[in-house]
Amino acid sequence: MSIGTDINFFFSPQSIAIVGASPTPGKPSHVILENLKRIGYPGAIYLVNPNYASINGSKCYRSLNEIQDNVDVAIFVLPAPTVIEIMERTENVKGVIIVSAGFKETGYAGTKLEEELKEIGERKGIRIIGPNCLGIYDAVSRIDTFFTPEERVRRPKRGGLSILTQSGSFAELIMDEMASKDIGVARIVSYGNRVDVGETDCLKFLMDDEATKVVALYMESVDDGRRFVDVASRCTKKKPVVVVKVGKREAGVHAARSHTGAISGRYEIYRAAFKKAGIVEVNGYEGLKDACKVLNTYDLVEGNRVLIVTDGGGVGVSMADACEDLGLAVSELSEETIKRLSAKLLGFSATGNPIDLTGSVTDKDYVTALEEGLRDEFDVVIITVLWGAPEITETLADKLKEVKNSYNKPLLICTPSSEFTLRMAQCFEENGMPVFFTPESAARAAAVLAGRKR
Amino acid sequence: MKKEEAKKLVSNALARGRQVLLEPEAKALVSAWGIQVPKSVRIEGVEDVAIKLKALTPPLVLKVVSQDILHKRDVGGVITGLKDSKEASKALREMNEYLVEKAPAARIEGFLLEEMVPVGIELIIGGLRDPQFGPAVMFGTGGIAVELVKDVSFRLAPLNREEVFEMMREVKSYPLLTGFRGSKPVDLKKLASAVMALSEILLEIEEIKEIEINPFLVSEVGAVAVDAREVLQ
Repeated sequence: MSIGTDINFFFSPQSIAIVGASPTPGKPSHVILENLKRIGYPGAIYLVNPNYASINGSKCYRSLNEIQDNVDVAIFVLPAPTVIEIMERTENVKGVIIVSAGFKETGYAGTKLEEELKEIGERKGIRIIGPNCLGIYDAVSRIDTFFTPEERVRRPKRGGLSILTQSGSFAELIMDEMASKDIGVARIVSYGNRVDVGETDCLKFLMDDEATKVVALYMESVDDGRRFVDVASRCTKKKPVVVVKVGKREAGVHAARSHTGAISGRYEIYRAAFKKAGIVEVNGYEGLKDACKVLNTYDLVEGNRVLIVTDGGGVGVSMADACEDLGLAVSELSEETIKRLSAKLLGFSATGNPIDLTGSVTDKDYVTALEEGLRDEFDVVIITVLWGAPEITETLADKLKEVKNSYNKPLLICTPSSEFTLRMAQCFEENGMPVFFTPESAARAAAVLAGRKR
Repeated sequence: MKKEEAKKLVSNALARGRQVLLEPEAKALVSAWGIQVPKSVRIEGVEDVAIKLKALTPPLVLKVVSQDILHKRDVGGVITGLKDSKEASKALREMNEYLVEKAPAARIEGFLLEEMVPVGIELIIGGLRDPQFGPAVMFGTGGIAVELVKDVSFRLAPLNREEVFEMMREVKSYPLLTGFRGSKPVDLKKLASAVMALSEILLEIEEIKEIEINPFLVSEVGAVAVDAREVLQ
């Protein structure tokens, strides 16, 4: 609910308590303890459970109050009614992460408990993440409160992407995906039922967080729309924010006394809000994957003009279609550029946009096409490389990198994903050019970069 | 009408327990914010027609004024192409008959005789107060098929001019506005000002829940609010 202290301490806690700690492997609270140790959380870890004197050799406290220290973050892994009881007695805690389910999502009784929880938090000035959430995965401060074992859901390395989500399952999905694509993350926050801390508080923190270069947001609903727009507008001036909005079919809340009221579902207004705030909206999970990947390398661009260079006609055309569908401009080359290209490329290359170099292409042709094409005004380049063309070599990535560096334009690579081509894909990625495996995926990524101008 | 007087229309309507402004009030309000509306006179019955009609230049349109009638055309509440007081009087008698049959429960609060607007492109501009995000403004293709075509774009208020032009470019019928197959381009600046006016109205008058001009008829000579509606809260 946004009032109260800032939430920065959640991302640099001196001490963490696990309330409801358990010695039994596989229990959520035990998994959390293991994960905190594995990730190397550097602060003090306190275990709390009145049923044990010690757990795995560590002292176990009877209650939070027994800890002779202020606890920055307490993680609650207990039945919902017990959470309320303990919250009521707790005095020495700044913030809590309530992993437990059994609140609003379960119906009337749970909703009552959630209201109580909210009231206690506000009264005592304790900030709350959750309930019904996974909490925080923070590769910067080395915090992992996700109760999923690492061998099942892989943790990404440290990087610049931060993710905010209402959905815990979504957090796991994207986390696993980022780990498998070797994309690094800074902070991931899953805030579940969002009784207190939500997207806006988190954005406010991430806005000034130097570790965070890009923010990805999975949104079902918003807590305080105007405040969100205000904070997000400031955040997008510093770093890109992308959003996936789900629940698009939700009906409007307006009386149908006018066409305007009848035509405005909730989603239309959300879209207007994203635009106002400079947030780039992507479509669905696939869209977010592509966005995370491309923003991991490149920043947003000013315009929406795409240059496509290909060694396969069909792929080039389908790439152009996919780009146009997403509101990108596959604009024509200037006459001068066409003239120069025709003079420099072999006879059967097509010198339009896409520039089709055909299966007779050489590494040098790609470089020529790029150097000439980029004399015209383009914002993004997509290069498709079909390795069936016999004359292109493994050094293509190095050569393209030189062009990329001298023109300073984002180059996206589209290539198939078989054994050989995956190895080639790695060459591109090592040279700082993200690779996408379908025309649609590459086009979506380009559309993200041009997100503010579509 | 000045803005302050226009605001009184809203408070007066609410004081009378009305949740909408009547068409003449709705138009007076938008015209106070600089949006052009057709010249019109309000009449009570046939006896007014001959005298009041003198202030207008035919052809004219006759419309029913009622807070209970949402879609006037559907109940025979709009008759167009009237050339003189004889035709207007006849139309009024006919309209009364339609209304008795098709909207027997509606409270009729008089009629509007209005100068017809030369043909143009039908647009819709509107706005509403969203419970989460506050005032939002809509721009799109207007007419009776608005909800069918759904060619509209939204932005949150307050708007700057650049955002208004973005909104316009987002709708499919945008090329119609810039000159399409021989038609002359419309005055986009004037159009933008109208959209911004709706944004300002929503920001200034909190009692307005929804506002809408449809059709908003634009051509190379101007932009006129042919019908306007404001829903109050």
